[in-house]
Amino acid sequence: MFRIIKKSLATGVVTGQFPAAKALSEPVSREAIDKAKPFRRSLTIREVDTGSCNACEMEMNALANPVYDVERFGVEIAASPRHTDALVVTGPVTVNMERPLKDVYKQTADPKLVIALGDCAIHCGVFKGSYAVTGPVERHIPVDVRIAGCPPRPTEILAVLEALRSAATESEK
Amino acid sequence: MPDGQTAVARVQEAFPQAVMQVGSVQGVPMLRLHKQDVPAVARYIHTDPQVLGSLSLLWAVDHRPREARYEICYLFTLAERKDWLLLSVDLAGDEREFASITPVVHAAKWYEREIRDLFGLIPVGHPDMRRLVRHEHWPKGSHPLKKDFVWDQLLERVQGEYAYRKMHGEGVFEIPVGPIHAGIIEAGHFRLSVAGEPILQLEVRHFWKHRGVEKLFEQQRLTEAVPLAERVSGDTSVGHSVAYCQAVETLLGMTVPPRARYLRSLFLELERLHNHIGDVGAICNDTAYALAHAHCGRMKEQLMQLNDRLTGSRFLRGVNMVGGVSRDLSGVQLSQIDAELHAIEQEFAGIEKILFANASLTERLESTGVLSEGIAWDHAVMGVVGRASGIDRDLRRDRPFAAYHECQPTVAVYRYGDVRARMRVRLDEVHDSIRLIHALHRQLPMGPLTTQSVEAPTPGQWAISAVEGWRGEILYVVMAAEEGRIHRCKVRDPSFVHWPAIQWAALGNIVPDFPLINKSFNLSYAGNDL
Ligand code: SF4
Repeated sequence: MFRIIKKSLATGVVTGQFPAAKALSEPVSREAIDKAKPFRRSLTIREVDTGSCNACEMEMNALANPVYDVERFGVEIAASPRHTDALVVTGPVTVNMERPLKDVYKQTADPKLVIALGDCAIHCGVFKGSYAVTGPVERHIPVDVRIAGCPPRPTEILAVLEALRSAATESEK
Repeated sequence: MPDGQTAVARVQEAFPQAVMQVGSVQGVPMLRLHKQDVPAVARYIHTDPQVLGSLSLLWAVDHRPREARYEICYLFTLAERKDWLLLSVDLAGDEREFASITPVVHAAKWYEREIRDLFGLIPVGHPDMRRLVRHEHWPKGSHPLKKDFVWDQLLERVQGEYAYRKMHGEGVFEIPVGPIHAGIIEAGHFRLSVAGEPILQLEVRHFWKHRGVEKLFEQQRLTEAVPLAERVSGDTSVGHSVAYCQAVETLLGMTVPPRARYLRSLFLELERLHNHIGDVGAICNDTAYALAHAHCGRMKEQLMQLNDRLTGSRFLRGVNMVGGVSRDLSGVQLSQIDAELHAIEQEFAGIEKILFANASLTERLESTGVLSEGIAWDHAVMGVVGRASGIDRDLRRDRPFAAYHECQPTVAVYRYGDVRARMRVRLDEVHDSIRLIHALHRQLPMGPLTTQSVEAPTPGQWAISAVEGWRGEILYVVMAAEEGRIHRCKVRDPSFVHWPAIQWAALGNIVPDFPLINKSFNLSYAGNDL
C-alpha cells in the first residue's frame, strides 16, 4: 500500500503533458457543430473498425490514457451503439464489414454524428481499389466529420472533439 | 540433431521415390516432391525424433502467365538448430487438387483453407472444408490470388451462411461476440459454447477485415511497397516493413550498410517496448487493476511521444526503405533515448514490484488460459505466446538479422503457458529491450544509411525473410515479376498461427476470463485477415 502511494506521489499529475496539435487539415463544419448541439457538453462515442490496420484504434485508445484523459472533456466510450451519440469509424470498409457497418448505423439512435477517422475511412488510403474494399465510409453512411491522418495523432482527434463541444459552450453564452 | 542438409539426406533415405529434385534457395535446402508423397514426408519431418520440424509457413504461387502451373511450398523449422527446410510440389496445367497434410500436421489447417479460398486449389482430405477468408456472401469461383482475377473488380453479393460447430446437450448455450466489440478493439467474431460458466468450445471466426493486401502488393513495384507493408498491422509497422525490405534486398542483391542495420534493430526494439508495456497494462486492466493500467498507459504514451520526436511518427512509420533506413538519429537524440529509457526502466521495475505484491491480481493470472507445450508445438506456436509455453524460439537469436549478430538478446522462456507466463515473458523482454537499445547505441557504427541496387531480379526469382517482431515471427516471401514488379508477396503475421491456438487456451476457463486470455495473447486481427 505504502509503495503504491509513494509511486502515485512521485508520479504526480501527467494529464495534459502532450505537444500541441497541429492545425486541422479540414476544419469542423458548421453543420457538424450544429448537429452536435443536442449533446451539450458530453459526447458518447462508439468505435467501429471496418478494416483498419489497428493504428487508428490504438490512437483512439490512447485518448483514454492518463495523459489525454478524454473523459475530463465529457467524452465517453459506449459499449453499445444504442447508447451512442457519435460513431467513430476507422478503416476502408471491407466487403465483409459493409453489412455490420450499416447495421450499426441503423442501431444507433437519432440524432447521431458520424466521424470518419483516418485516411482509410476518408478515401480508403493504401487499400483503395482493392476487390475486398467497398469504401470509403461515406459511400455507405453519411459522414459529418473527417479527421485526416494515417493515423491522426491523439491531439488532433482531441482538437476535433473540442470543436464539437464548442457548440454547447456557444449556446450557453 | 541434424542441420538442414542432414535432414535432407534423411528424407531422401526414408523416401527414395518421393524426391524429384534437391535444390536450394538462399542456402535453404529445398526438396521437390511428387504430389502424392507430401503427407507422408511432412509427417516424417514433423514427428521423427531425429528431425522434428515445425511447419512455419505454407503458401501457394500461381506462376501464370509465365508458366501454366501452381506451386505449393512448405517451410519447416527444425527443432534443435532452427534450420530451415523447404518442400515444394507442382500442380501442372488444370490440376486443382493437392493432398492435405492437416491430418498429420495440425499447423497446416488454416493455411490450406486459405489456399483453397485464395487460389481455388482443393486440399483433398482436409477435415474442415468451410470457407475461411471468403465469407459466405462471396460468389462462387472468386479466388483473388489467381492471376486471372482482376484486382479491382466489384464482387457481387450472394446468399450464404457460415456453419458454426454446434455443441449439443442440456444447458449448453452459445455466446456470440463481435464482429463489432464493446471496447475499442478490431473486428472479429468469437463464438463461445458454455455450460454455466466454463467454456466448452471456442470458435474464432475472422477475416472480416480482409483488405486484399497480398493482391495489392502484386500491383506495386518492389521498391515502392514499403508503405503498404507498414499498414498490414499498424502496431507492427517496423516489424513488417523490415521483413518486407529484407526480402526485396535479397532479390536486388543489396547489402544493407551497418549503421542502417543497427538502426533497424533499434527501431524494432522501440516498437517492442511500447507494445509490451501497453500489453502489461491492458492485462492488468482486464483484471480490473486500474492503477497499473494507468501507469503503463502513461509510459506507453511517453514512448510513443519519443517515437514521434525521433522520426515524426508515433508508430515509427517511414523509417524503413528498401536498401536501408531513411532516418538517422543524431548523437543528441540517442542520448535522449538513453535518458528516457533509463527513467522508464526504473519506473517499470517499481510497477513490477507493485504487481507481484498484489495477490488478488496474480491469483487471477495464474493457471488461467493455459496453452500446454504439446498443443503449442502442434500448432507451431512461437513468439511471446510460444516462449510462455516452453517453446524456445526467437529469430533474433536463431536466425540473426539486422544487428542481432552483434547485439544478442537474452531469450525469456517460461513453462506454464498461462496468462502469468505470457505477462512474465513481456516483463523480461521490456528489460532486455532496454538493455539492447543501450548496447545498440554504444556500438552504433558510422557510415551511410542506404545502398543502391546492384542487380535486377529475374522474373520468378524469390526470397524469404524472417523477422522477430514483438508478437513473434513475421515471414515474407516475395517473388519478382517483370520490370521490377511483384509477382507474389506472401505475408505471414504470427497472429495467423496463434488464433487457432487460442481456441485451445480458452477451454475449461470461465467466460469472464476469456477477455483476459485474449489480451494476454494480444493478437492482430488486421495482420491475420490481410
Ligand atoms: S488511416 Fe492509416 S493508420 Fe488509420 S487504419 Fe488506415 S492505414 Fe491504418
